[in-house]
Amino acid sequence: MIRAAAVCPQPPLLFRELAGSQDAAEELRAACHRAVSQVLTATPDVVVVIGGDERTAVWDVALAPAPGGFGGPAGGRRDGLPLSLGVGRRLLEEAGWTGPVELRAVAWDADSAEVVRLGAGLAAHEDDVVLLVLGEGSARRGDKAPGYVDDRAFGYDAETRRALADGHPEGLLRQDPRLAHELMAGGRAAFQVMAAAVRAQGASPRAEVHYSDDPFGVMYAVATWLL
Amino acid sequence: MLKLGRRTFADTDLLVMAIVNRTRDSFYDNGATFAEDKALDRVRQVVAEGADIVDVGGVKAGPGEDVDAAEEIRRTAGFVAKVRAEFPHLVISVDTWRAEVGRAVCRAGADLLNDAWGGHDPGLAEVAAEHDAALVCAHTGGLAPRTPPHRMGYDDVVRAAIDDTVALAERAVTVGVRRDSILIDPAHDFGKNTWHSLEITRRLDEMVATGWPVLVSLSRKDFVGEALDLPVGERLNGTLAATAVSAWHGARVYRAHDVASTRQVLDMVATIRGSRDPARVVRGLA
Repeated sequence: MIRAAAVCPQPPLLFRELAGSQDAAEELRAACHRAVSQVLTATPDVVVVIGGDERTAVWDVALAPAPGGFGGPAGGRRDGLPLSLGVGRRLLEEAGWTGPVELRAVAWDADSAEVVRLGAGLAAHEDDVVLLVLGEGSARRGDKAPGYVDDRAFGYDAETRRALADGHPEGLLRQDPRLAHELMAGGRAAFQVMAAAVRAQGASPRAEVHYSDDPFGVMYAVATWLL
Repeated sequence: MLKLGRRTFADTDLLVMAIVNRTRDSFYDNGATFAEDKALDRVRQVVAEGADIVDVGGVKAGPGEDVDAAEEIRRTAGFVAKVRAEFPHLVISVDTWRAEVGRAVCRAGADLLNDAWGGHDPGLAEVAAEHDAALVCAHTGGLAPRTPPHRMGYDDVVRAAIDDTVALAERAVTVGVRRDSILIDPAHDFGKNTWHSLEITRRLDEMVATGWPVLVSLSRKDFVGEALDLPVGERLNGTLAATAVSAWHGARVYRAHDVASTRQVLDMVATIRGSRDPARVVRGLA
């Protein structure tokens, strides 16, 4: 049974060692820590980390949450977890979580049937589960954004934010995979897996948004749903 | 670890030593900071720009106005005391070859004696030991103070610089200077033509490999001027290029006129090397 879910973005900058001495992501990271700590108070049997990747797969928890191919002071090779799961694992580590963890990647382009199937599987989990869901909104929110500007990004992100703030699974499940892809909205599939799971459980979450901003042209939201 | 008087520095720290001349005739500033108030303003400025050390000089390096020991002390000791009072934590160096000047400035609060004329007065090392001060051991090829090089030749200038400076450093240890308070300086252009100074720069890693921390004094010197055919006022870019190469080779202290630019180059090289974190990284990682 799902007890709570935390939503955090997955920029490599959340790995503190990548950010340089000034740490441009300090506020965001602090919000993530608050959200993760809050959901862990539900004292779950297991934390299931869900994040986007090239393909849907379960990953080995023994792999290190390292920034791998993104570099860093010691250089780096891509040899660990996918970015989303690596960030999630790191956030759990920073929150002091030492209990069981499952790592589940969902394909960026997963269709609605697939996210519903994955969500149903989570809702049927026999243990008390906390979800840590990695993803963000559009990366096309400004001249300096990674994907430059697409005016549709603002409406798309507003809808995602509203759904997160209201604890409203349908709002997330309505998002169109194709539009999300065009807007470089990397959290769509993972958010929908969470939404499908919560809907399958028939719960009405108590929702809170801890952070919502786009300091680098990518829409980041940090939210918690307590079930 | 490097101990310079009251301060200690990590092996990865790259330090800027700002030149503060209390002379009327030094080659670049031409007396701009001869007056005490002007020199104090210069100290305030270089500290604000990130200098770790100030190097106070009372005598022009090259030939010029005759300055005896009494006059050199008059120019430096009282000034050192004023700088010490205003900047209790700043490392104060004095550029002198005379033991009696060294004693006067150490009493006034100097941390480091920059013996740029390569042990011409052996008593200077003893003074450093007496006052627990640090010492720079420089290579001049045996020239007397304030003598320009004329037709000087070496079998191997880098070998000569290493042998002479390491010998001076070892001698300093035997008279009581702390081993971790000694720097060696190949002394670009001192007893060297431009080819020599270029080779010293190119092979500075050999000097670093001795294990003694290396100080370089490159700022706007003639080897830069001759390399680029530029007058002193236009030698900053060339100086900074030599600074970057020296930093890459592992030199630790940089005696400089242009503190902010030098600091920036050293920070950049340290960041490339990986001993300093970049200030703020966001590109491609958001």
